[in-house]
Amino acid sequence: MATDPVTQEIIEGKLIATVDEMGIVMARTSMSPVIYEVLDFACGILTPQGELVAQMNGITLFTGTFGAQVRSLIRQFGDDILPGDILLTNDPFAGGTHACDFAIVRPVFIGGALTAFAINVAHYLDVGGAVPGSVPPNATSVFQEGLRLPGVKIMRADLLSAELVNIICENVRLPEIAMGDLNAQIATVRIAEVRLNEMVVKYGAVAVQAAFHHILDTSEAQARASVAALPDGDYHATDVIDGDGVSDAPIHVRVTLRKRGDRIEADFTGCPSATQGPINCARGALQSAVKTVFKALVAPQAPSNDGWFRPLTVTAPDDTIFTARKPRPTGWYYEGSVHASELVWQALAPLRPERFSAGSYASLCATYLSGTGNDGLPFIHVEPQHGGWGATAEWDGTAGLIALTDGDTYNYSVEVIEAKFPLRVNRYALNTDSGVGAGQYRGGYGIVRDYEMLEDGCMLHASFGRTRTLPWGMAGGSPGTTNEITCKAAGTPIRTYGRISDLALAKGETVSLITGGGGGWGDPALRDAADIARDTRYGLLTKSQAEAAYGPLGVEP
Amino acid sequence: MIRLATDVGGTFTDLVGYDEVTGALYSAKALTTPRDQSGGVLDTIAAAAGLDPTRVGFFAHGGTTVINAITERKGVRTALVTTLGFRDVLEIGRGNRPDLYNLRFQSPKPFVPRHLRFEVRERLDAKGQVVTPIETKDLTAIAEACKAEGVEAVGIIFLHSYANPAHEKVAATALAAMLPGVTICASHQISREWREYERSNTVALNAYVQPIIQRYFARLEAALAAKGVECPYFAMQSNGGIATFQQAVDRPLTLVESGPAGGVAGAARIGQALDMADVLYLDVGGTTAKCSLIRDGRPKLNTAYKLEHSRLYPGYPVQVPVVDIVEIGAGGGSIAAMDLRGSLRVGPQSAGSVPGPSCYATGGSDPTVTDALLTLGVFDPATFAGGTMALDTSLARTAIGLVAGPMGLTMEDAALAILDVAFANMINALKLVTVQRGHDPRDAALVVSGGAGPALAARLGREMQARCTVIPPHPGIFSAWGMLAARPRADFRTTWFARFDPAALEEAKAQFGALKSEAITHFGRGVDADIQYDMSVDVRYRGQEHGVLCPVLPDDSADNLAERFHAIHARTYTFRLDAAEIEITGLHLEATLNTKTITLAPVSTEGRELKQSRKGTRSVYFQSLGWTECAVHDRDLLPVGPTFVGPMLIEEPTATTLVLPGQIVTITRTGILLINEAEAVG
Repeated sequence: MATDPVTQEIIEGKLIATVDEMGIVMARTSMSPVIYEVLDFACGILTPQGELVAQMNGITLFTGTFGAQVRSLIRQFGDDILPGDILLTNDPFAGGTHACDFAIVRPVFIGGALTAFAINVAHYLDVGGAVPGSVPPNATSVFQEGLRLPGVKIMRADLLSAELVNIICENVRLPEIAMGDLNAQIATVRIAEVRLNEMVVKYGAVAVQAAFHHILDTSEAQARASVAALPDGDYHATDVIDGDGVSDAPIHVRVTLRKRGDRIEADFTGCPSATQGPINCARGALQSAVKTVFKALVAPQAPSNDGWFRPLTVTAPDDTIFTARKPRPTGWYYEGSVHASELVWQALAPLRPERFSAGSYASLCATYLSGTGNDGLPFIHVEPQHGGWGATAEWDGTAGLIALTDGDTYNYSVEVIEAKFPLRVNRYALNTDSGVGAGQYRGGYGIVRDYEMLEDGCMLHASFGRTRTLPWGMAGGSPGTTNEITCKAAGTPIRTYGRISDLALAKGETVSLITGGGGGWGDPALRDAADIARDTRYGLLTKSQAEAAYGPLGVEP
Repeated sequence: MIRLATDVGGTFTDLVGYDEVTGALYSAKALTTPRDQSGGVLDTIAAAAGLDPTRVGFFAHGGTTVINAITERKGVRTALVTTLGFRDVLEIGRGNRPDLYNLRFQSPKPFVPRHLRFEVRERLDAKGQVVTPIETKDLTAIAEACKAEGVEAVGIIFLHSYANPAHEKVAATALAAMLPGVTICASHQISREWREYERSNTVALNAYVQPIIQRYFARLEAALAAKGVECPYFAMQSNGGIATFQQAVDRPLTLVESGPAGGVAGAARIGQALDMADVLYLDVGGTTAKCSLIRDGRPKLNTAYKLEHSRLYPGYPVQVPVVDIVEIGAGGGSIAAMDLRGSLRVGPQSAGSVPGPSCYATGGSDPTVTDALLTLGVFDPATFAGGTMALDTSLARTAIGLVAGPMGLTMEDAALAILDVAFANMINALKLVTVQRGHDPRDAALVVSGGAGPALAARLGREMQARCTVIPPHPGIFSAWGMLAARPRADFRTTWFARFDPAALEEAKAQFGALKSEAITHFGRGVDADIQYDMSVDVRYRGQEHGVLCPVLPDDSADNLAERFHAIHARTYTFRLDAAEIEITGLHLEATLNTKTITLAPVSTEGRELKQSRKGTRSVYFQSLGWTECAVHDRDLLPVGPTFVGPMLIEEPTATTLVLPGQIVTITRTGILLINEAEAVG
């Protein structure tokens, strides 16, 4: 049975309001900067069968993981999913991402019937393992990446399991923060339950289920129509991943997109087997990475749900870099999965240029600085770095923007950092030295962020990709520029890093976090002289940079 | 003495005046004059029949000069002076990409271009201690560059100036001396809160509009004086209070939501008149509806206000006190359409005033909320807008047919469907400011204003289970009316960090004492001025980033305050952590000068009789009852006191109120319409 168009619209509005409300509560009550600043979490509502019907606007990493995770729990628990339960999983190999991401799943029973699942997945600041933050950039096994809880009941009959709480508290470095985030997560799925209950009381269980299916079916139909409008064919892309954290060797990856009628298959056959280092992702994260770009193709602004992805299949052999199996390390999975996204992006961009930009700095450039805080307690300062995005067919690329894998993700306030940690930021600026990809439209600029250590005993872990392979240009535009970390101490030469573990930093040393500029779009010779003059006036481009990119300059207007 | 308020809106400028001696009321409307809004203001004064400008003793003004200069990017050529290494903060912003799947996302463009952003060698640490003394030579070069570039305003933002403004003061003084005639504005003068991007944006926008508002107020003052209006002039601020023109010129960004704040101030005044401390206020305009919550008689402030923000766009955060308003794209002109998914959507597209709803017969052909209300008989084609605009029912029905056909509904049911969706959107917004922030709407009076508001109010009140539904006087020009109810107000917020314990509370109280001295200076009425102080602190559990605002009472003990915080946290976010450590991160003092505001005088009972008020009947279509005859009454002639049983229509020049079957309605002694459920009253 279908709902009427009015009830449908009203229920859809309430579902979006509900997932947004979950997100607000999470961000405002969490004790972890990864949540409240970086918004590395997401909330959603799924059908009793485990199909996502509504998701908050947070980051793209979780675009496709919810369904796989909930279906995996349904398979695991079968009939043993009861009212009052809350399930927890952080297993990368069961639809998840990495062990840091705790999924809290509430089966919502209304009138005795399973009506929906509410889910909240959040990145915990630390889940134990080899290093603070639980993601050693040079890990070689999942066992170095912290505690795994692959499908457990953290609550039965609405009571927290004391045993599990004990296990968690004894196995993570910052148990107070972990418990704070667990509380916040549980609050959000309970809010979802209250709101769903209100919907069922008002519109009836049948209408609510019908509305769920209508959301999925109409999204599917729109996605199929969008795909059908593209020319049939096979489309290819290749890319290089710059090292896995253990080895610097280039990793060659590829995709073939087969577009037939209203379906698309993304085939990653031919990608290398899983790597020794932790940039592997498992199948759930691969699905999510491909879905992110597919969503950008078919309906970038529409609310996300699993219906959109029904025309999409993802094919890949087992235990490749994109389909790692236990016990492969996956701590930095997004450093791998972003390349799966970019492969699909590269292959699709020529088909619908009005939906895509040229290559970006791509890597989230996540940076972990740890040590002893101004309050005498240990701290872990985690932040992603923002960087340059590629140009489009109509305008220059955006500067200092968060990478594809994240989304509504803020940079960290310098004033807040300096109040909390023995760190001083001496510069946060556009990276004009490295420049950007030239083109009729140029790429956006990356950033430079300089941290000076005010105390001894700080430690740096970071994993910067795209340190050698440049962001691609489009339609004759030049490629962008690379990301890098440099380290300066008095009297020693500057050292340069990409993926780095356990770098001890002394008082007075400065670490520069540098992200690259995006690729250009279109022949640089076609660039408007006024745009070149403006960039020069703005100090983005020196005269010599301008002449190198665009040829001899005329007289400034 | 006459109290006068004018509110400049997008299309019309409204005037409301009240003679406190005679009780005479003046109102007028004139077209807004966009290039110089003072023209429209003067037109309303000229149009207000019987108004003697020389008897005006209080003048309040709300306008869109500031917001227009920002949204149209028509501020002055502005420079920004920053700490060395940080001139790009304004451009990078927070770097977030809320439009997740848009791979061509563009960040908000900075209001100051890169070549006008200058750096100075200086540095403070987070405690405000000097790390690098300010290099004043750098300022000389900056002043030269500003002259060469024809800069008209300069904003100054140094890191950690919220903790110590000394370097900003040095720079401001030096630049002012070198750049005569140029507006100089340092961040600490506008905001003493941390977060460098938000404060940079605040000072840049403040500088960007300051010369504009200065010239505008100068013109307005001259024009008012020429008309004989010689009294203190006040500007409506976004915090729900008023400030003198001079105070507003110093901090023009505080006027950014001037108009909507007037309505909020009015709603608070209505709540006071009804002795209801909690008010849920909804204003339904042509394109949007705005709602906000008033708790304990005070409008709630939004601590993270962003201009041009949406679910998919970061907008421009500014650190000025703005009443917490949730705005949604559902108003009288909102267009209904079937979307690609086969659902009925209403808004955010709006027919606005041009071309207007189909029934205006001014060129619009889309079905709108107004067309639905006309089709259902709620509006009378002949008396709409006081009879100044005849509506065309057949055009409305033709438009409604565009969605009735695809849904397989009758004209009437399609019109109801449009309203159902509009109601649901409004209820989501009303719940956002109440239920979702831990407040029970059943404790609040729902005050509804705006052209289409009173026609929708009764149903909203019923669905929200509001304590009662209230249609204030002059619902069509309520923002202007509200400005007559506003008091001089200033907000002082500072970032101040302490681990919470009894000593910290004492220290906080001492800090509040200093802020109170600032408030006394601000109002300039001497130490004996009757100022109401409301203190609150930003409090959080250790480890959290975001706090909740928790009121502080003068005689609070640490235990009292801690318990209040736990309770607020639980109410807002559903849980409390009794064992966790608590931190204070900010102090907030609201200072309100207790001046007289508009009197809600008893309305004249003369000539108020049912047989006078009854204008006839009209058929209205209800979901359950179908077409039903409803009595139509003139609000200004309805007897005061007795209750009347719905369904019923109550008309006045700027609005039509629909009372539903099962509801009862009363006019209070002060002329306020109160709608209640018959059943609830018993």
